[in-house]
Amino acid sequence: MSVSQETIETVAGLEKYKHGFVTDIEQEFAPKGLNADIVRFISEKKGEPEWMLEWRLAAFERWQAMEEPTWAKVEYTPVDYQDLHYYAAPRTKAKPKSLDEIDPEILATYEKLGIPLKEQMVLAGVEGAPKYAVDAVFDSVSVVTTFREELAKSGVIFMSMSEALREHGDLVRQYLGSVVPVSDNYFAALNSAVFSDGSFVYIPPGVRCPMELSTYFRINAENTGQFERTLIIADKGSYVSYLEGCTAPMRDENQLHAAVVELVALEDAEIKYSTVQNWWPGDPVTGKGGIYNFVTKRADCRGDRSKVSWTQVETGSAVTWKYPSCILKGEGSVGEFYSIAITNGRQQADTGTKMIHLGANTRSRIIAKGVSAGKSVSTYRGLVSAHPKAKGARNFTQCDSLLIGKDCAAHTVPYVEARNGSAQFEHEATTTRLSEDQLFYAMQRGLSQEEAVQLLVNGFVREVLQELPMEFAVEAQKLVAISLEGSVG
Amino acid sequence: MNAPVRLDLRDASTFPTRRVEDWKWSDLKRFLRDAPAVSAALAVAPGGPFAALGGREIAFGNGVTADGAAEARFEGAGTLRLRFVSEAQATGHQARATVVVPARAELLVLESYEGAGSAYASNVTLGFELGEGARLTRIVLLEEPDDAISVSAAEVKVAPHAHYTQTVLASGAKLQRHETRVNHPGHGASVRLDGLYVLSGSRHADLTTVVDHQGVEGVTSQLTKGVVADSARGVFQGRIVVDRGADKTDARMGHHALILSDKAEVDAKPELEIYADDVSCAHGNTVGALDENALFYACARGIPEHEARVMLTQAFLGEVTDRIEHDGAREAAQAWLVDRLEALL
Repeated sequence: MSVSQETIETVAGLEKYKHGFVTDIEQEFAPKGLNADIVRFISEKKGEPEWMLEWRLAAFERWQAMEEPTWAKVEYTPVDYQDLHYYAAPRTKAKPKSLDEIDPEILATYEKLGIPLKEQMVLAGVEGAPKYAVDAVFDSVSVVTTFREELAKSGVIFMSMSEALREHGDLVRQYLGSVVPVSDNYFAALNSAVFSDGSFVYIPPGVRCPMELSTYFRINAENTGQFERTLIIADKGSYVSYLEGCTAPMRDENQLHAAVVELVALEDAEIKYSTVQNWWPGDPVTGKGGIYNFVTKRADCRGDRSKVSWTQVETGSAVTWKYPSCILKGEGSVGEFYSIAITNGRQQADTGTKMIHLGANTRSRIIAKGVSAGKSVSTYRGLVSAHPKAKGARNFTQCDSLLIGKDCAAHTVPYVEARNGSAQFEHEATTTRLSEDQLFYAMQRGLSQEEAVQLLVNGFVREVLQELPMEFAVEAQKLVAISLEGSVG
Repeated sequence: MNAPVRLDLRDASTFPTRRVEDWKWSDLKRFLRDAPAVSAALAVAPGGPFAALGGREIAFGNGVTADGAAEARFEGAGTLRLRFVSEAQATGHQARATVVVPARAELLVLESYEGAGSAYASNVTLGFELGEGARLTRIVLLEEPDDAISVSAAEVKVAPHAHYTQTVLASGAKLQRHETRVNHPGHGASVRLDGLYVLSGSRHADLTTVVDHQGVEGVTSQLTKGVVADSARGVFQGRIVVDRGADKTDARMGHHALILSDKAEVDAKPELEIYADDVSCAHGNTVGALDENALFYACARGIPEHEARVMLTQAFLGEVTDRIEHDGAREAAQAWLVDRLEALL
């Protein structure tokens, strides 16, 4: 389907935030507040090994000594860390053996979100349609991971973090916190202390993961924070494509999402990590409610010729504050960052990337597209640095901002630090508004103003959309349209 | 917008560290822990690097003028040679000057920082005010010892239809910071902020600019280029702010640097902070080595490698000096560049 036709159809079916419903299920909560006992409670709930509990407690201690950072160009009501539930889980009697044992309400939730949890649904799809395995995280716990057996045949481990801690403890222990150290930043320390679940992926040497892996995060419960932890390890010569989606109900209060994602790429391995982030952005007029999305994502290209590619479509959240980064350690390793950040209403986004060139002949590419509408603020903040040893390092950065309306703002804050004579860094940035001429042309062809804006914006972000896996590209395109609703006129 | 640091050499608590965002690559506190003793006054003979261009001269010797003042004010047109001469050993001094260009008048300011002695700290605070339709061309030449600390900060107030043009030529010091903050009213006013740094040894130069567009139809054009050798460090920080309602602003910023050694460093932060939608703003930033293909081409044509390097580097940097409109000032700047490059390459 052509891009424009898809856009038009999307526009026809426009709706408000469609993921704003609440699932009514029986849930189990940890008491509100955060102290060492809560950390112990979470660890015990998950039946974790002793070392993990110690790791968490150490992280909690570090976190207590840290101060919440304030340098981002975002303003928000401070989070009361003692007024949150750090653990909320759907009540289950025992670990479900099959999908049938999972609360049908949860399944219905994921169905509403359009996520094919039931493997047969995927299998029954059009012949040749791509399969993808899903790990569904509901509030604090992973409820189901699909396609595990088929993946296991090729040696791929794909399971929730809590299962991985039990079944592959050594592997987790070896890599957990090796990319994002516990004391890396305030939110990473908090996450290390209280993370409840997340996905764990290990791709053995030389294996090309036979299907796309994906995780769907859903915050459902009130007054909870979601702290998931994802760890992906691509062993020598392997390849994996991983997708991540997020939604939350519409609530009046702000909810905190402080995840940590760690990627490790060994020699010749490649990881493609795509995110479509559509947390509830808060009320567009009053700015009330919405998710605080304070996430630490980092990839370590440890092996020579390894490659990590981040693609993100950020349309949700009241406040987004994240910088998916690449540490390019291996010789000839490659980091890529493709980003679309769309803000509308009273959303704020301070996002970008860090490309840290440590190894020789490392390359990176950054394409960031920001679209601000309504009274929103969107900031690109990025760092490209080359160490003295990163001979022949190359970077190309392009960040473009598009402004729609009089009351929005767009900022570009790139940092470039070149510390050797053979690094080549290029950076370009532009900030403009939607072209009157293009708008006029599109409208003169019979599109309404809103349709025309959506068409042009889709064109503006096309370079990044193309980087997304097929299923996500379509969804992302719809999101672009929905996010911009009400931005004109 | 971050409030600028008000540096006072007499008070060590005003010395910024790298934790202050605007000074993250120029950690003053690291080089200057305590307030230095005050330098003795210095008598300055008329002259300086721009003597041949004539005009009026205001000279500070270790922070004081011939009549003993630490502050000077100039209002008028024509040519003003503003000299800050330092000759001290491990002491500090500061000076302050205000330059006013009346409406529709035209002024050329030739500002020179002439350093001798060693390990001194100098702090200069400047104010420039342009009346409606006034034109001010400011050429700044920074020539100081490699163990000196030198900070110069200017606030520029531009009126509608006025034109402010500045070119900074920096050769670095232990820490050399040249900061310019411009209030841009738009309404037909234009601002050009150019800079050039040529750094060797372990010299450091920091060119920082902030342009705040407050009215409609403002134009800003910025071009900074530099070359760093040995273990020198060049810093460029440029921020263009477009306030709410400052529509039809047209702002361009470019920073391009050559790194000639594996120990040298270039840090750049070209920022755009935009609160209005009908604008056209762009910045470009490149850092890298001399183009090997161009070098090969020149060598293949029979030009010795060293000469080819000088020629290509000069061509790269010359773009900045070529933009100086005043003939005499341009020639002086070009001559300075040639001298500096010969010493460097």
